[in-house]
Amino acid sequence: MQAIKVENLSKTFRVKRKEKGMKGSVKAILHPQTEEIRAVKDVSFAVEEGEMLAFIGPNGAGKSTTIKMLTGILYPDGGHAEVLGVDPVKKRRQLAYRIGTVFGQKEQLWTHLTPYDNFRFFGAIYDLSEKETEARIDELLERFALEDFINTPVRNLSLGQRIRCEIVASLLHRPKVLFLDEPTIGLDPVVKENVRELIRQMNEEEQTTIFLTSHDVGDIEKLCRRMIVVNAGQIVLDDSVEHLKRHDPQHSLEEIIVDIYKSEED
Amino acid sequence: MLTAVKNQIRVCSLSVKYNIMREMVNKVTFLTNVGFMALNNATFLVQWMILLRLRGDVGGYAMREIMLLWGLMAASYGLSHILFARAFSLSELIIKGKLDAYLVQPKNVLVSVLTSSTDVSAIGDFLYGTVLVCACKPGMGGFFLFLLFVVTGAVIFTAFAVLMGSLSFWFVRMDMLQNQIVMGIVSFGTYPDGIFKGVSRFLLYFIIPVGMAVWHPVHVIVGFDAGMLLTVLGYAALLAGISVTVFYRGLRRYASGNLMGARV
Amino acid sequence: MRKYAVIYSSVLMENLQYAANVALGFFGYFVFIFIFIKLWGYMYRTPGELIAGYTKEQMIWYVMMTEMLFFGSGAASVAGEVAGDIRGGNIVYLLNKPYHYTLYVLTKYTGEWSVRLPMYAALAVVIGVVMVGPLPRFPLAAVPAMALCVVLGLTINAVFKLCISLFSFWIEDTTPFQWLYNKLIVVLGILFPVEIFPQKLQPLLKMTPIYTVCYGPAKLIVDFSPEKCVEILAAQGVYLAVGCGLMFLIYGKGVKKLYVNGG
Repeated sequence: MQAIKVENLSKTFRVKRKEKGMKGSVKAILHPQTEEIRAVKDVSFAVEEGEMLAFIGPNGAGKSTTIKMLTGILYPDGGHAEVLGVDPVKKRRQLAYRIGTVFGQKEQLWTHLTPYDNFRFFGAIYDLSEKETEARIDELLERFALEDFINTPVRNLSLGQRIRCEIVASLLHRPKVLFLDEPTIGLDPVVKENVRELIRQMNEEEQTTIFLTSHDVGDIEKLCRRMIVVNAGQIVLDDSVEHLKRHDPQHSLEEIIVDIYKSEED
Repeated sequence: MLTAVKNQIRVCSLSVKYNIMREMVNKVTFLTNVGFMALNNATFLVQWMILLRLRGDVGGYAMREIMLLWGLMAASYGLSHILFARAFSLSELIIKGKLDAYLVQPKNVLVSVLTSSTDVSAIGDFLYGTVLVCACKPGMGGFFLFLLFVVTGAVIFTAFAVLMGSLSFWFVRMDMLQNQIVMGIVSFGTYPDGIFKGVSRFLLYFIIPVGMAVWHPVHVIVGFDAGMLLTVLGYAALLAGISVTVFYRGLRRYASGNLMGARV
Repeated sequence: MRKYAVIYSSVLMENLQYAANVALGFFGYFVFIFIFIKLWGYMYRTPGELIAGYTKEQMIWYVMMTEMLFFGSGAASVAGEVAGDIRGGNIVYLLNKPYHYTLYVLTKYTGEWSVRLPMYAALAVVIGVVMVGPLPRFPLAAVPAMALCVVLGLTINAVFKLCISLFSFWIEDTTPFQWLYNKLIVVLGILFPVEIFPQKLQPLLKMTPIYTVCYGPAKLIVDFSPEKCVEILAAQGVYLAVGCGLMFLIYGKGVKKLYVNGG
């Protein structure tokens, strides 16, 4: 059974363009020029249920745009996407009950509230009863070791504690697919390791499909068996991590990835 | 269907509760904000005392009608800014790509967005408006009409703000204009309709919805008129419908944060 | 020479962008003036009637001028910036610069309104001439004196708003006090000239900053007389001195508190 299926997915943004210098400024006010940027071009791939996939690429390659189309945030211009058998745009709400999202650079939590109050809010959002919410919080509390700060306002937590809370908030409703957009960004090595371990456990115990983007090669090595590399909106590689490493044993995975990025630029 | 609505209401009330809790973290600031806003509004009574001293009425309004007008305006402006404060900064959210968090929740996007923040000083507006109307001794029936019109007024304000804000999906410069136009309603709505004639009167009743939000309601409270009452109700529903439609139509063009990134 | 051309054009480019934003604010100004044209149109029953010594045209021009000062000054930005610097802790970095913080803010603000105010002035003149009719017997020769009075009025206003913001050293949020100050100015100075208030109140109103901040400049433009001009300029001088003294005093105390408590 496939958790995610993507066929020829495309997205174009129209961006305002301004020519250089004084003339350009005046022109931009009188006749605004727009330019099309094709952020994602005809991307196709599939992810099996229970798989952990790394979706990587340099900045501006189209990773976030793809995640946003898969979670119903952006409307695609072309192609088709299906997550858990549902079209994310047409049945956005129905899908939202079954997926979880963590955006490392964006916060979903209310910072003036404690994690506990936050979780109760998210429980309400996903239509869990008070009892279900409590039970689920207890379960995740232990697994993510949140006991010490469950009653401390989020704004007073460290980044590592916060991201753990973000992940818990997105897991309350037992999503089948979890989208993680740079979940370890800005964390110290120990906390990074801890977060990875938790993600791995989730995948094992609840068979959650994990769709991960990251610039951290450690995340990919420790978590994912397969990786897809995108560049300039297109897939340039779709292979197993094991295979890549075996193919080029002299180099570290980091070096191999840098090579792929570079060869695409030429 | 019914449970879905019930759940949505549960989330909204939690949302509003948490918003107010956030603002109450500093109690002194909270109270001065609320209190001073009420006082701030009260200063305008001076203006009307002066004007009414010059001539017995202004546009057919005496002091009682002026107080009703101000009360309605302040209370419905207040209510819309307590419950749906985000409607009034919708433009900014759209342009800066801050709708993502609401789009991944299995709830109505627009409702989640609108209820995601509260303007504390609006509580002062609301209380001031209510006290002012009570001071006019509108009677039981009048007071119920007032409550009804506060709700329709708040709906009209919010819907109009959503409509203007949603235009940001198409036009980038809307963020400043949204604010200007919405504040324009407040400016017009604190003066009697009798001073406007002809084209401006027509515009203020049907295009910029000042007439439907406050003027008709004042007339209905002063002398009941079922036709006017129904017009207001119908207009509020229609405007709400249009704004919701335009918002969802625009949402397809939503670019998340990507445009910002690409523009650098 | 090329160097200066580049500097000039980049500053101009930035200001063009800024000008476009200012122009959007015209909408709000226009709404106010439109309302007042209608309002006074209703209040004056016969042409040539005088209310508190003002003709209808003078009354509308008075509001146009005071609103021009209010919109064109954009004084909220001074208040917001100072309060933000103090509450946000940024003040610590600005303290040991080789200038006086309050004067730095005032100078920066003056630079801001010198772009905005002329734009509003131009708009006001256009609206006034088209929708109200030009002021009769407007003394062109007195324009420099009027301009001086306007500059002083804006500066005094900024000094008072700054004083209120400086209380951020002690209290969390000073915006409610700014609202109140603004509303007093609006109700007692912008909407009506002083002469419209009851006789007994008038001397009292002439003592408040309102007289120097908005009534004075607008009155001079609408109904100029040399005696009035001297009187207003003198009052402005006194107010400026007192306001600045107050500002330095509050600032000094605030900074001392900052050093004692370490922010």
